[in-house]
Amino acid sequence: MAQGDGTDELVVRAREGDGDAWARLVERHSALLWSIARSHGLNEADSGDVVQTTWLRLVERIDGLRDPAATGCWLATTARNESLRLVRRRSRDVPLVPAPRRPEPGPDRVVAARERLGRVGAALDTLPHRCRTLLRLFALAPTHAELAAALGIPVGSVAPTRARCLEALRRLVP
Amino acid sequence: MNDDELISGVRDAFEILDPVPPDVLAAARASIAWRTPSATLAELSHDRAGRTAAGVRGGTGRTLTFTCPGSTVEIEVAEQGRHREITGRLVPAAAAVVEVRHRDLPPDGLTSRAGPAGLFRVLRVPQGPVSLVFRLEDGTSIVTSWIRL
Repeated sequence: MAQGDGTDELVVRAREGDGDAWARLVERHSALLWSIARSHGLNEADSGDVVQTTWLRLVERIDGLRDPAATGCWLATTARNESLRLVRRRSRDVPLVPAPRRPEPGPDRVVAARERLGRVGAALDTLPHRCRTLLRLFALAPTHAELAAALGIPVGSVAPTRARCLEALRRLVP
Repeated sequence: MNDDELISGVRDAFEILDPVPPDVLAAARASIAWRTPSATLAELSHDRAGRTAAGVRGGTGRTLTFTCPGSTVEIEVAEQGRHREITGRLVPAAAAVVEVRHRDLPPDGLTSRAGPAGLFRVLRVPQGPVSLVFRLEDGTSIVTSWIRL
């Protein structure tokens, strides 16, 4: 069947009851949503809640969506807002028992995975944290608009930021 | 390496280091089942955190307001150990069956009633994303936007 698989078309098909279209939407966008949550320093449980809340928010309004083509940006913005909301709540909570926090993979996992990571992965390890995070989001966001939504920055500043971080990475890759 | 090779190296590295957990993906796939096209969506319009004073049971609750054309749902959420207690009211006042939606609860697994004054209370709500459904006596329903408790 000659059906398009743009995000806008998948949204329309999912709304019409096409389960496969919904599954493809989830597969296409979840890695970015997860990375947005992780880039806010949230642990795995909190990040999982951010991703799930974001998809549930799409489900609750999917029948009334006027502009399905904007769904990618909307998902990224929602994940960012939910992450910020959770970060604020976490910072207010009185930690009676400190919650286990594992915002980024620990050194053991990094070492174990290094062999499979290749040159780029090894170089990422030595990049400043902000650049690592930015490059991660750059690698996953399908468009500059979605990246801008994920980062909460104007679309116009995406390209220069991307170029700067890529240059920093390139200097580290042998 | 050109830009595309670098970027794809970054993508591969994070896929190995910190992939989306399978249960998170499974929950996302399953979330389409929560569609309620016939209910009116009440969107979150206000979310004010309460202060959890150390040693004080429950502390001051977090208050949230959801609004849709014609109705408002106000709730206060208090901590009950690992669970949450929700008290709230429907404005304008209306009697309703209140159903809690949560990934760990079966349909109708946790319900309560709002009396004619619109007041309701739900105990032992699990943490995580939650939405409330109000089934009114005139046959219409209101569903709140998902929030994380």
